[in-house]
Amino acid sequence: MKLRGKNQIKVYATIGSILIFIGLVFVSTNSFYLNILFTIFMFAGISSAWNIIGGFAGQLSLGHSAFYGLGAYTCGLLLVKLGIPPILGIWASIILASLLAIIIGYPCFRLRGPFFTLATIAVGEVLLILAVNMKTVTAGSEGLSIPFHPSLYNLSFQTKTPYALLGLLFMLISLSAAYIIKKTRLGYELVALRDEDQAAESLGVNTTRAKIVALIISAAITALGGGIYAQYVLFLEPHSEFSLATSVNFAMISMVGGLGTLMGPVIGAFILIPLQEFLRAWLGGASQGLYFFIYGVLLILVVMFMPQGIIHFCARPFNKLMQRFSLPEEEFPSHIGTLYEARQVLTKNKQLVTNDMPNEEILKVESVSKRFGGITAVNNVSLSVRKGEILGIIGPNGAGKSTLFNLLSGVYKPDSGLIIYNGITISEIHKSHIICRLGIGRTFQIVKPFENITVLENVMVGSFCRTNSVQKAKRLALELISIAGLMEKKDYICHSLTLADKKRLEVARALATQPTILLLDEVMAGLTTSEVEEAIKWIRMIRELGITIIVVEHVMQAIMSLSDRIMVMAEGKKIAEGPPAEIIHNPLVIKAYLGDEYETPSA
Amino acid sequence: MILLQLIINGLLLGGVYVLISIGLTLIFGVVRVINFAHGELLMISMYISYFAYAMLGLHPYASILISVPFMFIIGMVIDRIIIKPLREAPSYMQIFVTVGLSIALLNMALFLFTGDYQSINLPLAKKTINAGSLSISYARVVIFLTSLAVSAGLFLFLKKTDIGKQIRAIAQDRMAAQLVGINLNKLYTLSFGIGSALVAIAGALILPIYYVFPSVGSYFVLTAFVVVVLGGLGNTMGAILGGFIIGVADSLSGYYIDPSLKELVYFIIFLVVLLIRPSGLMGIVGAEEMGLK
Repeated sequence: MKLRGKNQIKVYATIGSILIFIGLVFVSTNSFYLNILFTIFMFAGISSAWNIIGGFAGQLSLGHSAFYGLGAYTCGLLLVKLGIPPILGIWASIILASLLAIIIGYPCFRLRGPFFTLATIAVGEVLLILAVNMKTVTAGSEGLSIPFHPSLYNLSFQTKTPYALLGLLFMLISLSAAYIIKKTRLGYELVALRDEDQAAESLGVNTTRAKIVALIISAAITALGGGIYAQYVLFLEPHSEFSLATSVNFAMISMVGGLGTLMGPVIGAFILIPLQEFLRAWLGGASQGLYFFIYGVLLILVVMFMPQGIIHFCARPFNKLMQRFSLPEEEFPSHIGTLYEARQVLTKNKQLVTNDMPNEEILKVESVSKRFGGITAVNNVSLSVRKGEILGIIGPNGAGKSTLFNLLSGVYKPDSGLIIYNGITISEIHKSHIICRLGIGRTFQIVKPFENITVLENVMVGSFCRTNSVQKAKRLALELISIAGLMEKKDYICHSLTLADKKRLEVARALATQPTILLLDEVMAGLTTSEVEEAIKWIRMIRELGITIIVVEHVMQAIMSLSDRIMVMAEGKKIAEGPPAEIIHNPLVIKAYLGDEYETPSA
Repeated sequence: MILLQLIINGLLLGGVYVLISIGLTLIFGVVRVINFAHGELLMISMYISYFAYAMLGLHPYASILISVPFMFIIGMVIDRIIIKPLREAPSYMQIFVTVGLSIALLNMALFLFTGDYQSINLPLAKKTINAGSLSISYARVVIFLTSLAVSAGLFLFLKKTDIGKQIRAIAQDRMAAQLVGINLNKLYTLSFGIGSALVAIAGALILPIYYVFPSVGSYFVLTAFVVVVLGGLGNTMGAILGGFIIGVADSLSGYYIDPSLKELVYFIIFLVVLLIRPSGLMGIVGAEEMGLK
């Protein structure tokens, strides 16, 4: 593999820091320092594992002590009761924790925000109570002593140096896992679902699966850490292994270092663990609580004044240093901007259109209804969409247009009626990511960009719908960004974009999923006249690629000039359908928009 | 007869839980923050009442006169300094900051008062009301009745007063409340203060029958979470229902299953409720999915 520029420096920096860590271990002869180093490595590793689900995916778990304690107890008990050496026992820890992750993941991930956090706390507490009460197995609150037979198989050693090296190895394993996740499709999916769950689903991300996979990896590494730690302390006690405080500690190290970043947990551990150990040593027992008081205050200050963590302060000088080397930027294939790749992947539909019968029906909606409480948002609507056409949907506010889109894209399941796409009854599916994968892409009326990642990364999330390769995803994304005219802003973090840019971004992102049908929900609302004109051109160009388009729009002049056909909705019902020229004079439409007084008797 | 005694015990215990939880659910319902430091507010209130007794000889019930205004101010200060800057922040930041507050307060108490268990020895604690073979603790009856009175008072306050109506308006729809000219920040702070003041009543009333120590809050706060989620986070009437259900479940499972497993019982109730009906018995369905904007 050829390394270039920044990457080369990063590789050197990584190797350099590993050597420094190893050096630190061998320089420290004092067991006090070795203990600190071991603890730093272990906590950095476990917190990094927590960060995969808590940071990358934004699912704040305060129940990771469940995995940690399970790992520690499994490994310890296998040795004590069955004489199985921990080097094998840790695999049992990993497997059991992964199973626990699956069991609690499915139900808990249905919950959002604080509710998820509360559920994870409860899981931790349940395990704590079980560990206390299953005295015959765990020895309960008295604690479980693990016999000390130093050997590599037992992962326990006479001196502390090998422990520190083992801790370092563990940290590197955990960081590598986090690195691989971050740099591959799963990492992009996690960050996307953290920012906008529904938008991620609409781009083909199976959010539940992504979260479960992340939780399994996180749990497995945490349990491995617990198993190794058990062989170091050689004494397990439910109230320390399974406590809420332990879970909070894992989370806090990442938070202080930098939530959702790769190196944040390491930085957090290097600051908090020595602080803990030194304060404990200096202040001694005389000032019980003082250390944790400082710890708590520090957490408050970090959240309030540097929510991005301490890494944020390290990042700027580091980036400056990088710029000093004035390294060449990553190179992209020269055909970017000529739409080479985009045309190749997107025009596949066009051939279908020309080869097959023209006017072939691609989407059929049969008397679909959707009720919310007493309101029938969509009432017995039928509709047929032909390949390659642009269908406009208009109607006053509350006519049910967006609800219809949500039915088509699987956000809602219709109460009655059928939606058939390409011969598949998609109204039965009710899962946005599957509908997207089948070829229906969409944008949202209220834009839902992934706010905290760059424009490029936003579009890449869409590309991952059809590919696992980061390179391919990036190439397609760049091409679509250039069509969208966002090339100069590709590295901007999304929340800094204007509304017009965000709308363009959403279209580019939906296109990246390589849809056959594209649902555009008011992409022109709030745009200036010249922006509207640009958008019209752009939508026509998308159609030229062979993509069928359904547009919901309030900007009349735009929809009249764009659409081949227009459907009019009012109060959930379809009131008219036909070519734009006809619709404009339809008395029912005029009535729906302007009220009874304007009804023209002549029509 | 045992069953009756157990149910009475459970309801009386439920009174304790109601009194502790009602402030938590009020704060969540209005400010939309799960206050993980709620247990520590209880702990501080208990210490105030304890020292009022130990140093001034004030009866715990009378110490409410000191602790309620004090906690009211503490609550408002916490909201102004710590919560207000994070109003628009993602929920995990609010969770982190209240967890930090909880750690800081707990350990400050540990530093100042050491980890020793303190209690006051009042004859009141041992007084019982006997009816036939039933024996009912006098102090617990006081708590039970107070919990009902406080709930009724809060209910009337929210229903009848202008401020109460404004608070309910915010809880239902922040945006609309703001549009009709309600000063959100002022009322958030006020609600945080009221929620904390309600904890002060709980702290004073349970002092005669519980030990006070720095981590007493962590002991109660998890139960309080169970209670408010069971009733429907943010729903004050739900907290009352949840408190009594958990109290009775505690009492029955302690007798019929095993005293050490009663916590397991209500954590399992908690998980089941979260998974089947996360909005709780009296909460708004779907609230947990929408993230309560």
